[in-house]
Amino acid sequence: MKRMLGFIAAMFIFLGFAFFHESTNGPVTSKKPTVGLLQLMNQPALAQIQSGIYTGLKDEGFHNGKNINIDYQNAQGNQSNLKTMSEKFANENADLAIGITTPSAISLADVMNKTPLVMGAVTDPQGAGLVKNLKKPEKNITGVSDQAPLGEQLDLIQRLMPNMKTLGIIYTSSDNSAVTQYKKFKQLCEERHIKLKVYSISNSNDLNQVSQTMMSSVDAVYVPTDNTIAGAMSTLIKNSDAAKVPVFPAVDSMVKDGGVATYSVNQYKLGVMTGKMAGKLLKGQKISKTPVEFIRYGDLTINLPQAKKMGVHIPDSLIQQAQSKGELIK
Amino acid sequence: MNLITSAIGQGLLWGLLGIGLFLTFRILDFPDMTVEGTFPLGAAVSVTAVTHGMNPFLATLLAFLIGMVAGLITGLLYTKGRIPILLAGILVMTACYSVNLRIMGTSNISLLGKQSLFTNHFLESLPQYFDSVFLGFIIIAIVIALLALFLQTDLGQAFIATGDNEKMAKSLGISTDLMKNMGLMISNGLIAIAGALIAQSNGYSDVNMGIGIIVIGLASIIIGEVVFGELTMNQRLIAVVCGSIIYRFVLLLVLKAGFGTNDLNLISSIVLALCLMLPTFRSRFHFKRTLEHGLKTPERKD
Repeated sequence: MKRMLGFIAAMFIFLGFAFFHESTNGPVTSKKPTVGLLQLMNQPALAQIQSGIYTGLKDEGFHNGKNINIDYQNAQGNQSNLKTMSEKFANENADLAIGITTPSAISLADVMNKTPLVMGAVTDPQGAGLVKNLKKPEKNITGVSDQAPLGEQLDLIQRLMPNMKTLGIIYTSSDNSAVTQYKKFKQLCEERHIKLKVYSISNSNDLNQVSQTMMSSVDAVYVPTDNTIAGAMSTLIKNSDAAKVPVFPAVDSMVKDGGVATYSVNQYKLGVMTGKMAGKLLKGQKISKTPVEFIRYGDLTINLPQAKKMGVHIPDSLIQQAQSKGELIK
Repeated sequence: MNLITSAIGQGLLWGLLGIGLFLTFRILDFPDMTVEGTFPLGAAVSVTAVTHGMNPFLATLLAFLIGMVAGLITGLLYTKGRIPILLAGILVMTACYSVNLRIMGTSNISLLGKQSLFTNHFLESLPQYFDSVFLGFIIIAIVIALLALFLQTDLGQAFIATGDNEKMAKSLGISTDLMKNMGLMISNGLIAIAGALIAQSNGYSDVNMGIGIIVIGLASIIIGEVVFGELTMNQRLIAVVCGSIIYRFVLLLVLKAGFGTNDLNLISSIVLALCLMLPTFRSRFHFKRTLEHGLKTPERKD
């Protein structure tokens, strides 16, 4: 009991001290601007964005360690770390913060309300409540969205599968960006009168059975940007191969893993765009004059052997397009 | 310095989770896995209600009520359905995942620009991070006071007796099934409030935020017990909250020491395992002393 009273008393004394110390605490001034870079987890696509950001900043004349300090923090997928790390940036009086993925950006926005924030790879900035007006951001937040060019992707599916009656979509129900894309994609299909059958999984253990059921009732499969399915692509492809149903994913890496073709956002380019935007803001550009950027046209990636296996005919014009600007897997 | 204040604030908010778990894990003496479902349930309910324009205070109370319903379901599966408690909890926890997705309609809802318990004039005028310290302290004080009063009543004593010795409690005419259901309801209601508070403090609710929650709750209880030793029931409730704060300090130290955050879960498990083993080591130590004592006593008798 004595120990506990001691602990509580010490805590109160500390808090009392901190309470008054706080108000006299002036900002730490440093000559080099500090950029806080917050990432949610280790993952290849996010790592590409990260290295793109460094390049983008360099393009704008900011070299890490020379004329700017980049404080890089990675929450390792544990969301309760995001808050502590955002607070660390706020403590260092970072001049600008970049959040890769939606939870990181929200966490930063919650802690900092004056520091300029750049969102990297946020699929739905409005839905997440980060930005209301995409053209003229009203608060301290702007950024680059990683939303896949869904319309372009659907065009491609329709062009390659002219006789398609039913399109299936499969996504992970807990993956926010996948859910957002599913909703937008569904809208597009309704507009074009395409019959869409929806399948969702809660984790990769469900994928085998759900995709087996799916393959028997659809002519083609679309997979949005979905980390869980991207990691378990071989399961999906095993079942689609057996049923001869082509898979059109939203991301180029999934095409390499057995998808047929896609127009996709290059993650590295996305990072470069984010970095350049951050650089411009560091030079003093106003947030309200920095609209949220989207990538409208993706790079074409085609997996030729997979297309042949599925009996999908690829027109020569598309093959040339993939060779010149994109990737052709032979 | 600011980070220590923040750790205290976070510890207070997470302390509610420890108190909730204490009711089932220590008083009733069984492991209730429902918590990994009711924590995000509380977050989902309160954040969804707030985004639909409900008063944040009422939204948090609503989370409490719905958490109690989830606890009741586990309780009924256990007491009436005769499903082992571990399994009953896991079943409800798994079901909660789908329920949470239904409630939120998506996997992640942000509270940015919306009202929450933390967006009032007074809390925002406090120095940095004192908002969660202040709010956490008030809520914890109210909860502990109410629980202490409750445990002193006849009903509360019957509840404690059920956990201590079920057979004896039954022979005294206590309906032990009722007590277990009640314990699960209060416990999960409190845990749902903890979820609601953490979601409002973090600014979002996510369907995956319940993963690993039970470890944080157990850590609060066990660290509190190991550090503060023998205490009365009411003091033990306070010790749980102190334990939760100490656990946050440990995490802060680990982050500050520059360990890779990859190892964070491993390190918190090691801390917990050490705390769990400490009583064993201590009793071994006592064992040695009593042995020496025992060897000496025959001489004294002469």
